[in-house]
Amino acid sequence: MAAKASDSGGSGEILPITPSLSETTSGVTAASQSTQPPSSTSDVDAVCVPSYSRWFSWTGIDDCEVRSLPEFFNSKSSSKNPKFYMYLRNSIIKQYRDDHPRKISFTDVRRTLVSDVVSIRRVFDFLEYWGLINHSSSSSAKPLKWDEKSAGDASSEPPTTVKETAKRICNGCKSICSVACFVCDKYELTLCARCYVRGNYRVGINSTEFKRVELSEESKKVWSEKETLQLMEAVMHYGDDWKKVATHVTGRTEKDCVSQFVKLPFGEQFVKESDSEDSLEAFDQIKGSADLESGGSDKEGSSPNKRMRLTPLADASNPIMAQAAFLSALAGTKVAEAAARAAVTALSDVDYEAEKNASGDPNRQEANGGEITNSKRAWADAKSLIQKEEQEVEGAIKEIVEVEMKKIRDRIVHFEKLDLEMERSRKQLEDMKNLLFTDQLNIFFHTRKARKSEDRVDVQT
Amino acid sequence: MKALGSSGWKGPVKFRMPTAENLVPIRLDIQSEGQRYKDAFTWNPSDPDNEVVVFAKRTVKDLKLPSAFITQIAQSIQSQLSDFRAYEGQDMYTGEKIIPIKLDLRVNHTLIKDQFLWDLNNFESDPEEFARTLCKDLGVEDPEVGPAVAFAIREQLYEIATQSVASAKESRLSKKSRRGSDHGSASKASGLSMDLVKLFSFKSSVVRKRKDLDVYEPVVDLLTSEEVDALEAREERHAR
Repeated sequence: MAAKASDSGGSGEILPITPSLSETTSGVTAASQSTQPPSSTSDVDAVCVPSYSRWFSWTGIDDCEVRSLPEFFNSKSSSKNPKFYMYLRNSIIKQYRDDHPRKISFTDVRRTLVSDVVSIRRVFDFLEYWGLINHSSSSSAKPLKWDEKSAGDASSEPPTTVKETAKRICNGCKSICSVACFVCDKYELTLCARCYVRGNYRVGINSTEFKRVELSEESKKVWSEKETLQLMEAVMHYGDDWKKVATHVTGRTEKDCVSQFVKLPFGEQFVKESDSEDSLEAFDQIKGSADLESGGSDKEGSSPNKRMRLTPLADASNPIMAQAAFLSALAGTKVAEAAARAAVTALSDVDYEAEKNASGDPNRQEANGGEITNSKRAWADAKSLIQKEEQEVEGAIKEIVEVEMKKIRDRIVHFEKLDLEMERSRKQLEDMKNLLFTDQLNIFFHTRKARKSEDRVDVQT
Repeated sequence: MKALGSSGWKGPVKFRMPTAENLVPIRLDIQSEGQRYKDAFTWNPSDPDNEVVVFAKRTVKDLKLPSAFITQIAQSIQSQLSDFRAYEGQDMYTGEKIIPIKLDLRVNHTLIKDQFLWDLNNFESDPEEFARTLCKDLGVEDPEVGPAVAFAIREQLYEIATQSVASAKESRLSKKSRRGSDHGSASKASGLSMDLVKLFSFKSSVVRKRKDLDVYEPVVDLLTSEEVDALEAREERHAR
């Protein structure tokens, strides 16, 4: 054991054995500095680590490890902690490197590690997948996938990603998802609705981390000409009413329509103008309902639309507003209206009481000053909040406008360039025409001369 | 600190391994087509069942066993797991049990003999941690000893846990009329456990008696190859 300690220090001697290695590049040598080497002597046959695994270090845990093996990092069980994970991982890699280049098998490893075998297997598969063990430099080894889950989990860079193309396969039950999917971006998981409801996902994940993804016919990505045309027509007709637009465009949800519309190229800008007017109108409405708190039903009702239109800003906007909009979209406009109205009336009642007390006796105004100022203060606070909101929205709209302007400016520049090109080619054409003309003239004169000399010859003879 | 005497009885607990990780010890001993495969490891029963087949295939491939072993291994694991799961719904009484755990195992060239006390009530106990520390402290170089030690501890804990389930059932059946304190005595009646009260009462001291010192000391022996062969031959003879 002691003799091999030098190798086990391992900065992963990342010296490519043959230059034909496609994976190890010069970037890999940088990795040797990033890891922590107690002084390691380079062995005769150095260990190769592929470049996509250069995050590995003996004493640290990288993000992709946390993502792929969440069971060790979710503190659900006291003994399955990061330290234990490092013990497993480091022992496996050490064992492999001790006997390099012999490939190490799972059974070799699990016999020497004090743990339950399935955890060992998961760590082993993970390491093998990322080429940290059993990585052979000669074959561009497609790692054996004993478990499809590990392929689905280890995302980002590994060599053979099982790309989920059109079909979405549920990581839980390995069936094809048809209706709705739940996607967890954190761990790159896709679950069908059944598995999500049943809680059939990995140990470490919270149900709140899943996003619902509707899969109608999975023709999401590409909009056909017909659909785009329909979208355009619908928007021209219905303008702001995305529900009607969605019904007019067959097979697309409201969200899809909105996002596609925003993405449409320059030619459709003029249609957008009228829409931006509409959005400003809606905005004025909001200003008008300057009641307390989250105020009017108009706001609630139009805020989903407003939100969808301002989708690029959804993250930047007030999270409470976003939640309110989301809830109101869920609950339906009527319910949201009723709720908002009730809230407003309740608040205005409070205000009314305070005002009644205040106005009742002008003599006691000083005594009631406190009450008045309290309610007035609340009212002022609310007002300032509203103003802040407005300002934020204005700022956001300004940004959008700027972006659009930039787009237009870029287009103008582009057209100018094209114009120049046109000019140039026209000039060329002119030149060539002139050349042609001079050539023709030359020929004409020549022929004339020739004929004249011919005639003279004829006359002479 | 609660008064030890009166708290002899704890309510029944749902069966589980009395350790932090609810891991099951699995022992395999399969003979087929002239080849014998013996193994012992720990398994987490909350892992999905497809892991069993995956593991069986992996093992057969790694050890280059004939593929007939795959189904046999998988079946054996599954049956042990279902035995464990059968116990899981039932109650067990743990009482105030401190039990002696004995180690007497040979792994390749290393022989370990040891005995120590284990608190059955400590559901945060970790045999794996214990095994790792033992090997580190005793300077055991063979890495296969650790898992064997952990497995031995787990096996004994498992056995005692199942016994307590059985005894809980018996006591419930036989003593339906009288309840309460009798349960405490039932758990104490399983002769292995030591009475905490007696152990830590005023009369006796906590220091171990001299005659017990040898018993409780760990012994690690490194055997030579001939000794190993001799021992193996003897074991085979016993087995037959």
